[in-house]
Amino acid sequence: MRNPESAIEMMVLVSGIGYSNLGDMSFGRVLLSTLAEMDWPAHVHVEDLNYGPIMIYQTLEASPIKYDKVVLVGAAKRERKPGTLEIYRWHGKLPEDSEIQARIEEAITGVIDLDNLLIVCKHFGVLPDDVTIVEVEPQTEAWGLEFSSVVAAKVDEAIQAVRDQAFCNN
Amino acid sequence: MCFKNLPIEFDAQGNAQLIGGVANPYAYTPREIKRDKLEELLARNGHIKDVSISPVTRVAGALSFHAVADLQERKFLEANSVATIFRGYEVILKGRDPRDAIYISSRACGVCGGVHSTAACEAIEMAFGISPPPLGTVLRNIALSLDFLYDHPLHLFLLAGPDYSQVVVEATNPAMWEKAQVTDAPNAEVHQFKTIGDIMKGLNPLSGKLYLDGLKMTRTPREAYSVLFGKYPHPQTVVPGGMSSTVTITDFNETYTRLQKMIDWTKRMILLWDDLTEFFYDYNPEYKKVGARDKNMIDLGMWDDPDSYDATYARCNDWGEARWATPGVVIDGKLVTTKLQQINLGLEEFVEHSYYENWSQNGVRFKTDPSGAPLSPNHPWNKETMPRPSKESWKDRYTWSTAPRWDRQVVEAGAYARIWTTAAAGLMPKNRFLESTGHSLKINMPKTMLPEMDFEWKIPDVWNAFERNRARAYCMGYNLMVAYSMVLKAFDYLRKGEDKVSTKFETPQDERIGVGFWGAGRGYLSHHLTLDKGVITNYQIVTPSTFNASPHDPFGNPGPYEEAVLNTPIIEDYSKPEEFTGVDMLRAIRSFDPCMPCTTHIYGGEREIVREVNTCACSAEG
Repeated sequence: MRNPESAIEMMVLVSGIGYSNLGDMSFGRVLLSTLAEMDWPAHVHVEDLNYGPIMIYQTLEASPIKYDKVVLVGAAKRERKPGTLEIYRWHGKLPEDSEIQARIEEAITGVIDLDNLLIVCKHFGVLPDDVTIVEVEPQTEAWGLEFSSVVAAKVDEAIQAVRDQAFCNN
Repeated sequence: MCFKNLPIEFDAQGNAQLIGGVANPYAYTPREIKRDKLEELLARNGHIKDVSISPVTRVAGALSFHAVADLQERKFLEANSVATIFRGYEVILKGRDPRDAIYISSRACGVCGGVHSTAACEAIEMAFGISPPPLGTVLRNIALSLDFLYDHPLHLFLLAGPDYSQVVVEATNPAMWEKAQVTDAPNAEVHQFKTIGDIMKGLNPLSGKLYLDGLKMTRTPREAYSVLFGKYPHPQTVVPGGMSSTVTITDFNETYTRLQKMIDWTKRMILLWDDLTEFFYDYNPEYKKVGARDKNMIDLGMWDDPDSYDATYARCNDWGEARWATPGVVIDGKLVTTKLQQINLGLEEFVEHSYYENWSQNGVRFKTDPSGAPLSPNHPWNKETMPRPSKESWKDRYTWSTAPRWDRQVVEAGAYARIWTTAAAGLMPKNRFLESTGHSLKINMPKTMLPEMDFEWKIPDVWNAFERNRARAYCMGYNLMVAYSMVLKAFDYLRKGEDKVSTKFETPQDERIGVGFWGAGRGYLSHHLTLDKGVITNYQIVTPSTFNASPHDPFGNPGPYEEAVLNTPIIEDYSKPEEFTGVDMLRAIRSFDPCMPCTTHIYGGEREIVREVNTCACSAEG
């Protein structure tokens, strides 16, 4: 169901993924709070998706709204220089079945993780083709409320990137 | 007299006291683990192999397992259960406002955080001297039934289930798969799987109908949980003295509707696990030995009777026995106590093979419990969590789990222990749907699409991996009818205008002591705390997996996982060691429902099973 007030607009889902209080790894979770307080047009929905990928897939599956685009922000360790900010369209390729099974098992036991969310939701067919990731390389993942300086320096840029992507129709 | 090892006796009035004339009543001499002969065999014989199941942990605690297998004799010679991560909730909670324990301890588990919140609340209520109004207790009971209606299907169909799926059985025992395809399932008319082979196909990961339905069915109890408690799995609404949810008759109606949705599915699941279990037994009676161990188990009971629970230690035996799950300890298949005080007095934790310092040099804080009964220096109220990381050694220290014991005996915890103690005690409050007979639990499930049906879980003659899983399936029906009964009770209270769900309280500033006797999806859960000047001075959590994943104790006894693996015959087919998969061992371990999902593969040449584990860490300390 598309929003009647924005019938020609794509429905966009925006969220930040990560645990609370886990230093740089909480990047998505912390930015989500900021994003949620911003003004957005009716066709962009900012939602908290930090309650487990299985529950998210089930919620999206049951939802009458079918999103055309998803923009997710978070931190992921991918051996880049700490503080590196990457904005990319997710390839949408699923790993082997055994790996999907492992991600489902993690998800049902409460693991909140960007890759898990993508794999589980893609496997169950609730993600659109257009999924954009705004992702920072963390420097630390120690317990704490603060970001490292290199990650903190990317906050504004990441928020702007999420907004740009949410408003971008391709 | 429930103790045979601890130096405690009871007078005619049932008051506990130390047996006179014993100089150091709780003293013991630790036994060494000897493995020289084993090391020699490992070096000499090609068919005796080290099998290491190693974790790769991403988020929380983890389990790994080490075993030595004799692939010629088809048996295990050594087994070591290893909790690889220290979590330290006890350390985090020291010095905090006791109410923080509700929310912080909840994070010990990503599946059933609410059980920790509730155990923390009950400990605080005992320490504060408050208790919830009846509807507050009923609400908690509903929450902690719904929690398990999420938890058990996960285990039965997503975690343990695949061990019995076509893909696993066909690969590890092709002849059995052939037989399964032509064996009619006795209860097919109800569960709609014509043959055992069809059930096995249904259990196939990702594609099987049972796997997918199990996953789908987790949504229903979670929805009801969220309606009543705001969110899952870490409710913010469990508070000392009750609940902070604002509930109306509509909320209970919504819960009732969702419970109705689960009734027929549960009927089918119980019969399906009956069929699967009996097929394995018929095919090869050796399967009765998989995961077998002594019938020794422990449970604290749960689901308080709203008219009995007053949170006092002095009356804990009374309100404990009034619970909808009866507390109890089973030794050699016999129920030896149903009294919470006795269960508490018998509890000790040992750390000889764990990465902790013994705390005895700090003296004994409590020589007695609040009723004046003798308390061991090794009891959680006297324990201090003192991490001591060191090198892994199978002879010395090898895990972050402690070794909890009851009366210095190895007991296991689980949903199955809960149904066992309840069935054996015959103390279930009178109600329409559940009846404890002393040897079984009768479960009446009302008509929905399927007709009204009666089930009876009978205390089994054998105790093994299959019976753990079967009992867990029956626990689905048990939990469901507890939740159903509690919703009906809630309607009654609302009809009478008794809609209060919490009690006011103030945090006391003097020294206090408390314990939350509760249960997780996986069984026994206790939170012991002491307070002074309004803050926590000591906090100790013992989870079911602390019992089950425990290492050897100082008396030379292996922990439950370890013992179950040592008793497991290697039944799977292999013609050369490289084909060994370890499926029988994994069935044994997984039947306990350890707090971790896992993926397993074997590097043939190295004999190393690498298993990626991500867990709620119930097996880790705290």
